[in-house]
Parts: sequence; structure tokens; C-alpha cells
Amino acid sequence: MDDGTTLWDEFKKGVITENALLKLMVGLCSALAVSNRVENGVFMGVAATFVLVCSNVLISLIRKHIPDQIRIPIYIVIIASFVTIVDLVMKAYVPAVYERLGVWIPLIVVNCMILARAEGYASKNKVAYAAVDGLGIGVGYTLVLLVMGFVRELLGTGKILLFDRTIVSLGSFNPPLIFVMFPGAFLVFGLMIALLNRYETRKKQ
Amino acid sequence: MSEPYRYFLIFLGAMVVYNIVLIRFIALCPFFGVSNQVETSIGMAMSVLFVMTMATTVCWLAWNYILEPLHVGEFLYIPVFILIIATLVQFLEMVLKKVSPPLYRAMGIFLPLITTNCAVLAVATEAVKPGFLKLNVAYHFSLPEALIYTIGVAIGFGVIIVVFACIRERLETSPVPHMFRGAPIAFMTAALLSLAFMGFANLLDL
Repeated sequence: MDDGTTLWDEFKKGVITENALLKLMVGLCSALAVSNRVENGVFMGVAATFVLVCSNVLISLIRKHIPDQIRIPIYIVIIASFVTIVDLVMKAYVPAVYERLGVWIPLIVVNCMILARAEGYASKNKVAYAAVDGLGIGVGYTLVLLVMGFVRELLGTGKILLFDRTIVSLGSFNPPLIFVMFPGAFLVFGLMIALLNRYETRKKQ
Repeated sequence: MSEPYRYFLIFLGAMVVYNIVLIRFIALCPFFGVSNQVETSIGMAMSVLFVMTMATTVCWLAWNYILEPLHVGEFLYIPVFILIIATLVQFLEMVLKKVSPPLYRAMGIFLPLITTNCAVLAVATEAVKPGFLKLNVAYHFSLPEALIYTIGVAIGFGVIIVVFACIRERLETSPVPHMFRGAPIAFMTAALLSLAFMGFANLLDL
């Protein structure tokens, strides 16, 4: 980019002002489904960030050689290859997490967040910027997953389990199970956007 | 268990007990994107049913007659399935345009959207590739079972998206608190619907 934006600006843009989940509302499906535990959020966030950065870098590297008419299938094949890497690595090293995330790992291919970055950013920008953009969007996505996972797991089960260790515990507290169940995801995400709306209208006034 | 009864259980399980939108969070983008009007949501539901059934059939054939005999399925299934779906959608668009212009006008605008609709890939993967949990069991579906599962999922999606569109049309004219206007109230509504569908949990024992 020649208009003087630094790499740090690109990173901040992905995390805050253009946060994929809260601002652009893309990639919702996986976020709502895996945010029932902090641990799921960690693995899903890392997997998606890896695919985002790698596919952004590769697409940016070969952007001048991709014929315009067949660019979307090429992007999809590139993304699918990186997703296959993640799929096989997770199956080999963390089989328990792989089992829990299930179909969501292959579904990273059709996560609109990744294709949107490939088409909208990586295909037009230099390699370094594309990498940082992917990293920023990935970190923003992971942070939202972690916040949602924290709220849902803490309220729904009364404690946070991370790698088989209890990190936080609410003690003797009868947890409303609904937060880790399906409606909890819609509820917590809806409240997050509502609070963000409120914060932004306050700031404008 | 007799065959027709088993088919019925698979259908019911796919449609309501493990409803794709409310219980499994797949296909949320079209769910929130095109559920503003009842008419468009019906068009979307029909196109999804059509594409999903075709995609599962082709992926099932590809898995059982090409990928599995060559022992390459484990690491090639993601690119193969997504390319099958993308090609199929393009092909259907051309065929519909030529053969049935009225149907094309009804479904045409939704077809490109469906390529990136995670529901099609999710259902094809689950129904075809062994090892993924579906209806809480992991066994290998035969072609009729895979098709019944797919049709159940697609009808479950259609029913929910139309119901949700009806609710959202009423919401347009209701006094919603300022901070909840737009997306947040839609999520709250979805939470309540999802709560209702939790009532179906453990309804059947496959």
C-alpha cells in the first residue's frame, strides 16, 4: 500500500475497526458453534489464523499470475490445501479436540471471512501487508471466541477448564446450563453486539 | 428395526432434533442474511434443498467409487468436495437458465450464494465421509440414507428460515429498545427459537 499506512495500522484494523465477527458479521457459524468452551476457542482460533495468514501470503505472492476469470476456484483450492494441513495435524496431535470440533475444521474452507480477505485484500496488496492483515483478522476472531467462550463456560459450568486444569472457579454456584447449550451462543453474541451498539452511540453523543 | 422406520428416524433427526441452524449453527449467514422477507426466504429454502440433494449424491458417488478405492480420501476430501459443489452450482445455474427460465428467475440470485454456504459442504461431508458424527452416531450411510439425511436437513433449514422471516416481518414494526435494533434483536429471537427446539433433544434413540 502506498498511502502511508503502517503494518501496525493494518493489524489494528483487523482486530478492532474491521473485526470480522462483531463489525462485519462474517464467519459467524463457526464462532457460535465452538465458543461453548475456552479451549475450543483457542484451537479454532489458532487453526483459522494459520489458514488466513498462509493463504493470504500465498495468494499475494502469486497474485500477478492468477488469471482473473478463474481466480475464485484458485483461491478455494489454496485455502482447501491449508485446511487439509490443519485437519491432518489436529487429527494426529490433538484427537480429543479434533473429535469435539468435528465438521468445523473442514468447514474453515467455506468460512466467508477467509475468502473475503483473499478476494478483497491479499489479491491486491504486497506480501507483508497481506500477512499482517491475515494475522490481524485472525487475532480479532480469536479474541471474540475467547471472550464468548469465557462468559459461556464460566456461567454455564461454574468453572473454566483449560488443558485439563481448572483455571477459574466460581465455587459453590449452581450454574445455569443454558449458557453452554445452543441458545446461550445466540444470547451471548446478541448481547455483545447490543453493548457495542450502546457504547458507540454513547461515544457519538 | 425395519428399514422404513429407520429412514423415518433419520429424516426426523436431521430435520428437527439436530436442526442445522438452531442446534448446530451451520448456515447462519443465509439465515440472518435473507430472512427479511417471507418470499425471498422461500426461494432460498427451495434452492438449498435442490443444491444440497444434488451435491450429496455426487459427493457420495465420488467418495465411494473414486476416492475410497484409490485410498486418497483421507487427505483429498476437502478440496474434492468443495470443487464438486462449486462446479455443480455453476452447472445448475447454466442448466436452469436454458431449461426453465421461470425457475431460474426464482432461484437464480441465490445460487452463487449457495457455493459459500457452509451447509452444503457440511452436509455432504457428514453424510458421505465416515467418521463424522451425525445424529450423534458415526456410521457409514448408504446412498438412500445419505439422501434422506440431506433432504431432512434441507427441509429443517427451510422451515426455520421461513418461520424466522415471519417473525422478523413482525419485528420491523415493533418498538424495540434502541441498542437492540437490527442484528441484536434477531439474535435474541434466534435464542428463543433455539430454546424451543431444545425440547426435541433426546426425542429419538437411533
